[in-house]
Amino acid sequence: MRNTYLVFLRDYLGYVQAWGFWLGLLSMPLLILFGAFVGGLAASSSPVRYYTIVEDTPLYGPALQAEFKQSSEEMREALQTMTGIEALEGGTTAAAETALASLARFIQIPAPANTLEELRPWLLGDRLISGPDGEKSLFAAIIVDPETGDLQYWSVDATVSGLLDSLNRTVEDTTRAQFLRARNIDPGILEQADQTAPDIMERLVRSDKEAANIGAEITLADRAPRYIAIGLSYMLWFIIFSAGQYLLMGTIEERGNKIFDSLLTAIRLPQLLAGKLMAVLAVTVTMFSAWFLVGGAFLALGVSQMPDETRQSIQQIVSAGLDISIVVPTLISFILGYLIYGVIFLALGSLCDTIQEAQTLLSPMLILLMLPMVGIIFALEDPNSSIVAGASWIPLFTPFLLILRIPAEPPVWEIFAQITLMLVTAATILWLATKVYRAGAVHGAGVNDAVKWLKGFFPGKKSAAKN
Amino acid sequence: MPETGPLSLINVSKYFGNFAAVSELSFDISAGQIIGFLGPNGAGKSTSLRIALGIMTPDSGQAELFGTAPSQKALKRVGFLPEERGLYKKMTPRTTIAYFARLKGLPRRIAYQRADELLETSGLGPFATTKNSKLSKGMSQKVQILSTLAHKPDFLILDEPFSGLDPVNQQVLEDMIRAENARGVTILFSTHVMEHAERLCDSIIMMAGGRKVFDGSLEAAYDTLEKRARIGVNPVCDLAEVLKETAFQIQKESFDADNDIQWWQAKLPGTQNAQDLLRTAIDKQVPIAGFMPGEDRLRDVFVNLTGQSNLPIEAAANLESALS
Repeated sequence: MRNTYLVFLRDYLGYVQAWGFWLGLLSMPLLILFGAFVGGLAASSSPVRYYTIVEDTPLYGPALQAEFKQSSEEMREALQTMTGIEALEGGTTAAAETALASLARFIQIPAPANTLEELRPWLLGDRLISGPDGEKSLFAAIIVDPETGDLQYWSVDATVSGLLDSLNRTVEDTTRAQFLRARNIDPGILEQADQTAPDIMERLVRSDKEAANIGAEITLADRAPRYIAIGLSYMLWFIIFSAGQYLLMGTIEERGNKIFDSLLTAIRLPQLLAGKLMAVLAVTVTMFSAWFLVGGAFLALGVSQMPDETRQSIQQIVSAGLDISIVVPTLISFILGYLIYGVIFLALGSLCDTIQEAQTLLSPMLILLMLPMVGIIFALEDPNSSIVAGASWIPLFTPFLLILRIPAEPPVWEIFAQITLMLVTAATILWLATKVYRAGAVHGAGVNDAVKWLKGFFPGKKSAAKN
Repeated sequence: MPETGPLSLINVSKYFGNFAAVSELSFDISAGQIIGFLGPNGAGKSTSLRIALGIMTPDSGQAELFGTAPSQKALKRVGFLPEERGLYKKMTPRTTIAYFARLKGLPRRIAYQRADELLETSGLGPFATTKNSKLSKGMSQKVQILSTLAHKPDFLILDEPFSGLDPVNQQVLEDMIRAENARGVTILFSTHVMEHAERLCDSIIMMAGGRKVFDGSLEAAYDTLEKRARIGVNPVCDLAEVLKETAFQIQKESFDADNDIQWWQAKLPGTQNAQDLLRTAIDKQVPIAGFMPGEDRLRDVFVNLTGQSNLPIEAAANLESALS
């Protein structure tokens, strides 16, 4: 145990002292910050665009302006409800900020001419038009045919669709209202009709005791375990993905440094592997812990500003994550999943002399890792679907899919059986990987030797390497 | 009960595919000696040593370290310098030595204390906290050697310890081996350079083609050679004729025209030595112009025992590279 600890400590300190670790540690908060600000930045960097509407009687013009105004108001209200901040001054969520900003980026200008031919110089930028944001070319012209009432949308940029989308909604609403008014029906009747639709009461069948305590209403507490499971499943995937590269590269370095013989006279191979696996796991756990701590600190700072409803939701999600029926199988899946994939990476690393060689092995490993992702996507839709239930019996998928299936309460025997399956798989892969690692580390075997050796396990094939 | 020797190999064989790297190898190492493990590249020395340490398992036979299979407990008493050696590049000499000492069971504080001592005495003190990647090859090799000594082993196994060292550092290493041996440490070192063994060893084990060809003291090794001497005389003297009644077998060798000396080679029978030859020649009033007693060389012992000179070195190296 002591030597395993020493290998763990050396490897762990080696990793955390490397600049790559700190880069990885900082990358997540930087990514979040980037995500938070880049939206607003993109929106504010989006230029103000002028458009004009040529129509005999003002109809769509005012309606389009009203549409922009209403959308902006709705967005603002939604944001206030979500954050509890009364006055929406600074940026809050990137998506809302982007939407709000983009709505204000189209400004209607009185038409400088009435036909497309006459408007062409302004559209092509040969002439500029004055507006609230200074002189600019015309971004789009909407021309209403006075006879048929059809609309033509002319623009020099087909990639920006915000104005066209708003126009579509406006035309739909306006023509519907016109249609109803022509039949002496108040357009507001549609809204009234919507209000008469009966509410759908979503309820969960619970035991009498539970129902007596918390009622039948479905709350976030009922859905939180699923959200937690999804998060944990992705987290396991991410840990394996990042740890795999550490393990692969670390072993290559050790093989390159020709240090195995010295180590193996001081420590047994399984102890060495255990120390290495624990070190890399600890590195990723350190990274996640740091992220959670920073995230938790920000959450704690912001929680006082949040409305009670949001605060309760967060509490429900956190308490769902601490539920023992989720924590135990998840922890087991985590450990066994990491072990299964971790030793594969270690074994592969022991066969490679160079990073280039390792890169050729990384591709199949990435494909192998992408396969559970497909399973995760199916499980997001329905964790009880037959595809997910079936796929969860494939050992390499089990760690991810079992975590996802736990909130859907699969039969207990299935949980135990799948944990057993993972144990057997982990033991088998560990045995195989130790053999491969020994061949690589002690005998200097390469990738081709390992392939020959593995072929020896199949009938009719003869093992080439004796060790 | 007397303690068993540090190492015994009993009928050990190891095959790589159909190639016998080690074949039915047996030997015992006695405590307190310096033993040379000799043979050309590819003779099976490194494989034997790795089997002895439990790094490799033999296909048949067994290895015993201090009377037991190579266990972690037994290995704690061993210091091993492998043939293929390296260091963690980002560590420093101090942390490297202390790390290996701790792996061998030394407590943290003592391991660092020992690392400091060794670095100071070996002259590497100023580089104690320099990254290994910045050390010269010779310094790196010193750090590796110090790492094997840090836990004060009872038995040192050094696989080709002199390779890669310049003559000055080879001498330093020879001195270190003698000093460790004086401390009571048994030392087994492999080499294909016989001169190191001649200077250092009490006994030798010679390998060729995976088999042991000799196991014994240096004297016993030299005794396997026919003793010879060279004697130079005035060309008018037919030495073969003069000494024909004696036990010495005389053969004409070469003529030194510059000095007008005819050189003869004499094979010395088992009981006779070079002095006897010289005395006999003087007694027979031979006009002696030069005399060179034959030097016993381990290389000659090896050639004599195997009937091979450089051939196995090249062949084995090729085979080894093909296998790797």
